Amino acid sequence: MSIEKGKISGRQLMFMFAGFIQGSALLIDFTVGITEHQTWMVILAGLIVTIPFILSYAALAKRFPGNDLVRINDMVYGRFIGKALSLYYIFFLSMTLSFNILDVGELYVNFLMPDTPFFFLLSVFAAVIAYAVYKGIEALAKVSHLFVATSLFVTISTSLLLVDQMDFTRFQPLFELPFIKLLQGIHIMSIIPFGETIAFLMIMEHMNDTKGPARYSFFGVLVGAASLLIVSVRNTAVLGRTQTIWTSPSFQSIRLIDIGTVLTRMDFLIGIAQTMLIFFKCSIFLYALTTALSQLFGLKSYKPLVLPVAGIEVIIAATVFQSPVDHAEITQNAGIIYSAPLIYVLPPLTLLIAKIRGLPKIERSKGK
Amino acid sequence: MIYLLLVYAFIFLVNVPGLVKRKERKELVAFLVLYAIGFALGLMYALDIPIPSPMKGLQYLISDKLGLKYPQH
Repeated sequence: MSIEKGKISGRQLMFMFAGFIQGSALLIDFTVGITEHQTWMVILAGLIVTIPFILSYAALAKRFPGNDLVRINDMVYGRFIGKALSLYYIFFLSMTLSFNILDVGELYVNFLMPDTPFFFLLSVFAAVIAYAVYKGIEALAKVSHLFVATSLFVTISTSLLLVDQMDFTRFQPLFELPFIKLLQGIHIMSIIPFGETIAFLMIMEHMNDTKGPARYSFFGVLVGAASLLIVSVRNTAVLGRTQTIWTSPSFQSIRLIDIGTVLTRMDFLIGIAQTMLIFFKCSIFLYALTTALSQLFGLKSYKPLVLPVAGIEVIIAATVFQSPVDHAEITQNAGIIYSAPLIYVLPPLTLLIAKIRGLPKIERSKGK
Repeated sequence: MIYLLLVYAFIFLVNVPGLVKRKERKELVAFLVLYAIGFALGLMYALDIPIPSPMKGLQYLISDKLGLKYPQH
């Protein structure tokens, strides 16, 4: 039985996917240091690699309508292995949420409000996402198109204002990087912006569209990927190889906007757009995390868990990494390796086992 | 410290009376367990007691022990 009665349409799911991926626009910086001016290729390759896996999430949601990831795991793997796998997913959701809360803190402390205490920023942000999650998935879905539209407006307008500073020879030479660097870049891209959409397996059960979530997920991912691609192309065309030396190439490139000395210091636009999008992304993660925990504990509602879990996430975010260098180093290695089975192996395997065992038909007949 | 106590008092007051009134025992127990974990972590943070990082542990296991890591550039 679902623990929330909210319903979302296919179009809302599409916008949620798009906004969720756009929320990772600043996280492509993890790849920039490795893949330099070829980051745009890595984004495309990461998208191509991950699309079949995202479609497998949608296929799972379609095969098990009205069921979320925790219940699907229980049905397919049995109570004990299913619960163990669900705990693995819960750990992933918890860690990824804390990283995103940390990203907001770092964004504000490094670029927007350097004098504000770091822990205070994290706490306020977590309180806001807890409030949003408390309102339910339907409320988040209803505003998702606004986040996507704002982000697209900021991305496209800032790119247009930088056209005069773009030099497309900065993309050359192509295919210059060693294969291992490209592989690592593709691995990062396929896990961080795209693979994290595994969280939607806790949300797709609320869809009221009988056609299934596959095409909406697909188009949502395409919109999100297009945004990331525009950001990457803009940064490379404006900054060239120097983008690897900046803490945030996006902020640096936008600071170069200077239209007749009137339109300058436009970096606040990135600050506003990214705050909104990371808020949206964190809300989806917190929702997925609390509903997964509620399912695991067999609760009737996820709401009592929202505030305590948000409190725990703030402490994890404040203590999980010692420095931004530590953050980048662990994410680029252990972070993407431990989450790979959850994203690449388990969903297709679950689908395969469900097909072989004829699930969920057997479950239904058992119920009768 | 006072900030922490105020925040956790607020979280308690927002959730517990409703759960007790509706007699949702399972929800109350789950809430109290997570609440206690969160409060203990918050207290450790406020008192500057080191909190072990799960990602450091994973890095040790995956990269250092199993040797699964990309070459340094």
